[in-house]
Amino acid sequence: MTQQTAAAPEPVSRNASLEGLVEELRQRLATARAGGSEAARARHTDRGKLLVRDRVDRLLDPGSPFLEVAPLAAFGMYDDAVPSAGIVTGVGQVSGRPCVIVANDATVKGGTYYPMTVKKHLRAQEIARANHLPCLYLVDSGGAFLPMQDEVFPDREHFGRIFYNQATLSAAGIPQVAAVLGSCTAGGAYVPAMSDESVIVRNQGTIFLGGPPLVKAATGEVVSAEDLGGGDVHARTSGVVDHLAADDPQALAIVRSIVGTLPRPAPPSLVQHEVDEPVEDPGTLYAVVPPDTRTPYDVRDVIRRIVDGSRLHEFRALYGETLVCGFARVWGYDVGIVANNGILFSESSLKGTHFIELCNQRGIPLLFLQNITGFMVGRQYEAGGIAKDGAKLVTAVACSVVPRFTVVIGGSFGAGNYGMCGRAYDPRFLWMWPNARISVMGGEQAAAVLATVRRDGIEARGGTWSREAEDEFRRPVHEQYETQGSPYYSTARLWDDAIIDPLDTRRVLGMGLAAAAHAPVPEPHYGIFRM
Amino acid sequence: MTRFDTVLVANRGEIALRVMRACVASGLRSVAVYSDADRDAPHVRAADAAVRIGPGAAADSYLSIPALIEAAERTRAGAVHPGYGFLSERAEFARAVVEAGLVFVGPSADVMDAMGRKDKARAIATAAGVPVVPAADAAADDLDSIGRQVGFPLLVKAASGGGGKGMRIVRSAPDLDQAVAAARREALSAFGDDTMLFERYVENGRHIEVQVLGDEHGHLVHLFERDCSVQRRHQKVIEEAPASVISPAVRDLVLSSSIALAGEVDYVGAGTVEFLVRGDEAYFLEMNTRLQVEHPVTEIVTGLDLVALQLAVAQGEPLPFGQADVCVRGHAIEARVYAEDPAHGFVPQAGVARLVHWPERARVDAALGSGQRVSTHYDPMLGKVIVSGATREAARLRLVQALDDTAIVGLTTNAGFLRQLADSDAYRDSQIDTAWLDHHPGAAAVVVPDQAWWIAACAVAAGNDSTDPLATPDGWRLAGPRARVPVSLSCIQDASTLTRVLLVDSGAGVVQDGERQISLRWTSAVGVGEVRCEVDGVAARAHVVVAGSEVAVAYQGQTHVFELPDAFAASHRLETGDGTITAPMPGTVLAVMVGTGAEVAEGETLAVVEAMKMELALKAPFAGVVTEVSAAAKVGGQVDLGAALFVVTADAVAAGQDGQLPASARVDR
Repeated sequence: MTQQTAAAPEPVSRNASLEGLVEELRQRLATARAGGSEAARARHTDRGKLLVRDRVDRLLDPGSPFLEVAPLAAFGMYDDAVPSAGIVTGVGQVSGRPCVIVANDATVKGGTYYPMTVKKHLRAQEIARANHLPCLYLVDSGGAFLPMQDEVFPDREHFGRIFYNQATLSAAGIPQVAAVLGSCTAGGAYVPAMSDESVIVRNQGTIFLGGPPLVKAATGEVVSAEDLGGGDVHARTSGVVDHLAADDPQALAIVRSIVGTLPRPAPPSLVQHEVDEPVEDPGTLYAVVPPDTRTPYDVRDVIRRIVDGSRLHEFRALYGETLVCGFARVWGYDVGIVANNGILFSESSLKGTHFIELCNQRGIPLLFLQNITGFMVGRQYEAGGIAKDGAKLVTAVACSVVPRFTVVIGGSFGAGNYGMCGRAYDPRFLWMWPNARISVMGGEQAAAVLATVRRDGIEARGGTWSREAEDEFRRPVHEQYETQGSPYYSTARLWDDAIIDPLDTRRVLGMGLAAAAHAPVPEPHYGIFRM
Repeated sequence: MTRFDTVLVANRGEIALRVMRACVASGLRSVAVYSDADRDAPHVRAADAAVRIGPGAAADSYLSIPALIEAAERTRAGAVHPGYGFLSERAEFARAVVEAGLVFVGPSADVMDAMGRKDKARAIATAAGVPVVPAADAAADDLDSIGRQVGFPLLVKAASGGGGKGMRIVRSAPDLDQAVAAARREALSAFGDDTMLFERYVENGRHIEVQVLGDEHGHLVHLFERDCSVQRRHQKVIEEAPASVISPAVRDLVLSSSIALAGEVDYVGAGTVEFLVRGDEAYFLEMNTRLQVEHPVTEIVTGLDLVALQLAVAQGEPLPFGQADVCVRGHAIEARVYAEDPAHGFVPQAGVARLVHWPERARVDAALGSGQRVSTHYDPMLGKVIVSGATREAARLRLVQALDDTAIVGLTTNAGFLRQLADSDAYRDSQIDTAWLDHHPGAAAVVVPDQAWWIAACAVAAGNDSTDPLATPDGWRLAGPRARVPVSLSCIQDASTLTRVLLVDSGAGVVQDGERQISLRWTSAVGVGEVRCEVDGVAARAHVVVAGSEVAVAYQGQTHVFELPDAFAASHRLETGDGTITAPMPGTVLAVMVGTGAEVAEGETLAVVEAMKMELALKAPFAGVVTEVSAAAKVGGQVDLGAALFVVTADAVAAGQDGQLPASARVDR
C-alpha cells in the first residue's frame, strides 16, 4: 500500500480521541477568553468599562453568531502572558450586516501590540478586504509593545500596515468605523483618525500622539489625559472624532447606528439555495475519524457529515481515487470539494486540476479537506512527471478566483499543503481540526532524512556512528517537529484562522461562504500549466 | 314564491358579514355597501356585489338613506337588512325602503316609531301590563319638578338614543341642568334629535333582556333571556345566556312581559325587550326593534340562526317552530372586543392592526384582519368572541382560554381587560352588575407580566429567523458557550417607564432575569408571529411583532409594547458640556433673565443675544443653579464669540448621577 511507503506523520497521541481533543480545545479557549488576570479585569470593570468580549457581544446584533478569528493567537508564546494576543477579531452581524470586528483587550498588557497582535489585526483587515466587510475597531490600546518594537514597528507587515490598510480599505469602499473606549496612544491614535466615522467615550477614551508624560518631557506642559485628548476635546474642538458617548454601551449603540446608515452592500455574488441539514448525523463525526491519523478511512464519511442532504455529486470517482472531487452544497451554497483520500499521484493531481478549473469556470467556491502526507515519491513517479502534475495542481489552486476554504482535518505535510490550498494560497479561511498536524514532513521522516545525511557524511569521512548516537541525534529533531507540528503551535502564529470543533465544520464553512458572498468573483485566468 | 332573492346589507363590519353568512345559508345573494374608508373592508370582499355609497363620514354614507335606496335599486336587491346601529332603528329608513318597493328586514316603520320613542314605548308597556321604572313626562321642561317627580339617582337619556350616547346619571338636583345640556348636545349630534327622557336610575341592577321573534301570521315566540349586566358607562362588555342569577319568578315575569309587549304591537321580526332587574323586581327599559349585537349567545343556547329566521320572516314565511319547541341548552358568553384603552378611561383607539389573531376554539364574529386600518369614523367594536359550555363555569373558563388566544397588535384594545374580567372572582360569582365597572376602575389596570418581558427579550435576541449562517440568531461562538445577549427593554405601566436588562441565550432558550433563570422553549418559529413557548415547563401562547425599536407581545389578550433603548437618547445630556454658557456669536446682549443664585430649569432662557440680525436665546443646559454671571452678561453689553457668560451648576443629585454608569452598563457574567 502506498500509504505505508509514504512519509507517515506522527500520531498526535495514540489514545487521544477526537472528543478528548475537542474538550482540551474548549478548555484552552475558555482560558484565553477570560483575557487578562483577575486583578486586571477588576481594574478594568471598576472603571465602568466593559470587558472586551462583552463589548463585542453588545456590538453584535442580539443573538448574532460570531466567527472568531484566531482566539488562540500567541498561545504558548510570550510566557503565555498574552491570551488571544490581546485582541479579539472576528466576523459578526451588526445592524443586519456582517462586519469584521477588531477589539483590543486592555486587560492584557494594556492592550499593547505584540508581534502576533499585529499579525492578527492585519489578518482581520485582510478578511475584510477579501470579503468586502466593514471594519469596526473597538480601540483600547497603549500602542506598540515597546520591548519588542523591532518585531512590531518597522517591517512591511508591521504596525504601519494597519493604517495603510485602513486607508486602502476605505478607498475600496469598505467602511472603517472606530470607537475609542480607552487609550489610543501614539500610533494607536491613527486608528480613529484614519476611520471614516468614529465615536469616543467621554472621561474614558483618549486620543493623543504623545501622552501627558511625553508632553511634560518634551515641552514641560502639564496636562491631564482628559484635557489633552479626551472625548470633549476631540468631539468639540479637534474634530478627531464624530460622536461623543457617555459610556461603553452608548458608544457601541452609536457604532451600531453608524453601520445602520451604511449603503446597502452589493447583491451577493454567490447564490444560496434552500438549506438542507446533512442526512448523516454530523454528531457522529468523532466516531468516523480514527484517533490515529495513520489509520486510513474514507473521507466521504466526513463529507457526508458536512454537506447539505449528505449529497455529493462526485466527479471522476473511478480515476485518481486518492483525491475525492465533487460538487455539493454547504448551507445552501454550492461548493466544489477537493478532499484527500490518500497521497497524491499524477492522476489525482490531474483530476484535481481539472476539477478546480471547472469550479473557477462555474464560479463555484472550493472547499479543500486536507489530510495529506504529500505527493508520491520514487523513481517511477518522478519519471512519470509527478512534479509537473503537482505543479499543475498548485497552479490551478494559486490562480483560482473563486473563494477557497481549507480545513485541515488530518495531516498537512510538504507540497501536499500547497496543492491543497495551504495558507500561502490565500484561502478565505483556513481552519484546523484539533487532531491536525502541520509541518514540512513528519518528525520521524525528518529525523531519518537528517540522520541519513549525517551518517553519509560521517561514513564518507571514514568515521562510524553508533545507533545510540544516531538515536541521540534523532530525538531533538523528532521532538522539534512534534512540537511545531501541533495545531496549537500553528494557531498561535496565525498559520490558520482557528482550531475548530469538527462538529462546527459545517457551521464555520457556512459562515465563511456567507461572508465570501459579499465580494464579487472575477473572471478566471491562469499561468502556464506545465504539460 | 319568494319576495326577494337579493339582500342589500346596509351596514359594515362584523354584522354585515354575519348577515351575509345567513344570506348564503338561505340561498340569497348579498350586496355590500361601502364608504371610501371601507373600500377594502372584509364585508366588501364577502358580498356578491358591492356599491360605494359615499365618503368616510357615516352621515354621508351608512346613514344616507337616498344613497342606500339607490344602491339597492342599482343592484336589484329585493330586501334591505339594516344590521344594528346606523339606520337599523330609524322608522324613516324602513319607510323609505318600503316606499321604494323593497322589503325591510325588521318590523314595520310604525312599530319602530312607537318603540323607538322611549316615551311611546313606555306607554305601550304600561298598556300591556309590563312593569316600568318611575319616570317623568317626556314633555316636561321644568327640571326641578322632574327631579322631584322621578327622584334621584336619575337617568337622563335621549328619547331616540341607544348605545349609551346621550345618557347621563344625575345623583343630585344641582347637577341636573348641566347633565341634561350635555346629553342633549350628544344626542343631537348622534341622532339628530335632542328630546330627553327622565327616569329613576336603578342602581346595582342587572340588565336582563329577552329575545322575541314574530312572523306575519300572528306567531310570536321568545327565545329566552340574556344577561348583559357587565357594562361600563352603559356600554355592554360581556353578555351571556341564560341569565344565571335571576329567580324563576323573575324569569317568568320578563318572558311573559316581553311576549305581552310584542303582542301589543303585533311585532314582526326579531326584537329585544330590555329590563332592569333588581332582586324580585323587573322594570321595562326599552325595546330594540332590530338584531342585537349579542344575538349569538341566544343562537348558541337555542341552536337557532336568528338572521336566517329574520330573512325567512321577511319573505313572509311562518315561523317553523312554536314556543314549546324552543329550549335552552348549556350556557353561552360573548365578549366584545373594542378598539379602546381600558387603562386610560376607555378612550377609543385608531390605527393599523399590524397583527390580528382570533381564537380558533370560539365563535368569532369579527371583521378585522391583520393589516387593516381602524378609523374613528365608526363604532370601535372590532369583533366578538363567543364561547359556550355545558355550565356557566365551563363557558367562562373557555372564554378565558379564548381571550388568551386573542391577539391584536398595533392598536390598543380591551381584550386583555376582558380576559382579566372573565378571569375575576367577581365575574365567576356573577357579582358584576351594571354599575360594577364604574365603581371598580382598578379592574382595568394593566400589569406587565414577567412572561411578556421574557418573551419579548427572547424575541429580540432571536432577531429574524434566517437561513444566513452569519445571521442565524443563536449566539453561536467558536468552540465555546453561546453568547448570552443582554437585552434592555422598557415598557410603560401606570404612566411610569419600567426598564429591565435580561440576558438571553436564544439558542438554548434561556432568559436570565436578575437572579432567575427561565428556560423558554419555543415550539414554533422563534421570535415571529405566533409563538407557543414553554416558560419553565409551563406552556404559554403569545404573539410577537418586532418592528423597528418596538416589540409587541400579545399575551393573555393584552398587548404589551416594549421599547428598545434609543442609541442617541443619552446624547442630549452630553451636548450640554460642563454648564458654561458661551456666546454662540459675537453680538449684543438684549436681555438677561437671571442672576447669580437663580434656580433654573433645563431649557430655561438665561439671556438673549442679538447677532447678525438674529436673536439667540441662551438656555440652561440642565436644571441647576446659576453660579456665575460674567460682567459682559448685561443688557447692551458687547460679547465676543465664545465668551463665557453664565455657569450653571447642576443639582447635586443630577451631578451625582452624571458620573455614574447606568445600571444597564453593568453586566453580570
